This record gives sequence, structure tokens and C-alpha cells, in this order.
Amino acid sequence: MSSQPPAPVFLNLFRIRFPVAAVTSIAHRISGVLLFLFFPFLVWLLDLSLQGPDSYARALALLQPAWVRLGLALIAWSLLHHLLSGIRFLLIDIDVGVSLRASRRSAWIINIVGILLGLACLGWLF
Amino acid sequence: MTSHTHGLRTWLLQRFSGVYLAVYLVYVIASAMRQGSYSYAEWHTWLVHPVMSIATAGFILAMLAHGWVGMRDVILDYVHGLGVRLLLLTLIALTLVACGLWALRVLLLAAG
Repeated sequence: MSSQPPAPVFLNLFRIRFPVAAVTSIAHRISGVLLFLFFPFLVWLLDLSLQGPDSYARALALLQPAWVRLGLALIAWSLLHHLLSGIRFLLIDIDVGVSLRASRRSAWIINIVGILLGLACLGWLF
Repeated sequence: MTSHTHGLRTWLLQRFSGVYLAVYLVYVIASAMRQGSYSYAEWHTWLVHPVMSIATAGFILAMLAHGWVGMRDVILDYVHGLGVRLLLLTLIALTLVACGLWALRVLLLAAG
């Protein structure tokens, strides 16, 4: 055992390379946590929006500040990435796109389309 | 249910709730994009329609199940102290149940 070289300790985060599907997977988790954190605000907005015309106008006014709209764009990315990668996981569960080639391709497409749609929402919100 | 099938049941719950959430969200996003903007009356009428109201209550229930299983998985993977785990899981459960009851109350009041 002593002749075996020690296992390399390699923790430079900028040089560890994640497979693309790992990025899709961790982003699925991060977006899921963000959506959970947004859930109370969503219910609050739903409550305000259904209490009458004045309250509805107040709910819309709450969404006006730039930092709120930035947050909404992040939530939009979270929702779209989570939805797309969720559908990808469901398809892989039923043996669609399981091969390394297909799963890498779908992971790339989802990561990029998620960001593009998130940016489109950002553009639409501003 | 034995402990052997417990994990499978949770796994299935996550898939079925995920499918429901996806179908509901795609429908809602498509409707909102078609409509463009809503006046209060249009928004209210749309949401209190019996089909939409019940579908939304279903969305809330699916969200509770899906959020619980997902957040639980994340906590069990990354948080290792037993005390912190219990605290976070309790907070998550309370948040979900409180939000769920609140949302159902909002839907009922709006429909009534």
C-alpha cells in the first residue's frame, strides 16, 4: 500500500471540470431551491391580486422596482431551466436519450436555451 | 408500505407531481402569452373559473409534494448535522404547509 502514490488533492474550483450533464443537474437543484424560496412571495402576490382592483394594482406596482424585476428574471430562468431539465430527467427515466452522446447534447441545449429564455425574460421585463 | 418501497413511492410522487406542474405551467404560460396583459376583471374571471380554480388548487398541492421531496433531497445531501437538518426540514415543511393553506384560502375566497 505504501508504494501507491497519494491520491491527488485537487480543489482548485476554477480548474475542476464538470461534465455538462452535472451542470444541468446542479442547476436543476439550485433553480428548485430558488423556486421554493419564491413560493411564499408567489402566494402573497396571488392573494393581493385577487382582493379587488386596487389591490391588483398594488400587486403590479410591487413588481415595478428594477431590483424586483431582476429577481423576477432570475425566477423566470429558474422556472424555465427547472421545467426543461425536469422534462429531460423524465425522458431519461423512460429510456429516451440515455446514450452518452444524446444526454450530453440535451444537457448542452437545455443549459443554453434556459439562459437564452432567461435573458429574453430580462429583456421583456426592462 | 415497507421501507423497501418507501423510496420508490417518493420517487414516483416526485415524477407525477412534476408532470402535473409542467402541464399546468405550460398551459398558464401559453395562455398568458396569448392574452398579453390582464385587467383585474379579466384576471379574476380567468382564475375563478371552476376548471382553472380547481386546476390551480391541484397545482398548489402538487407544489407542496414536489417542493417537499426536492428540498428534503437537497438537505439530506448537503446538510449533515442532525440538529440543523431537523431544524431546516421543519422550517421547510412549515413554510410549505402555511403557503399551501394560505393559497387554498385565497382561491376559495376569490371563488366565493
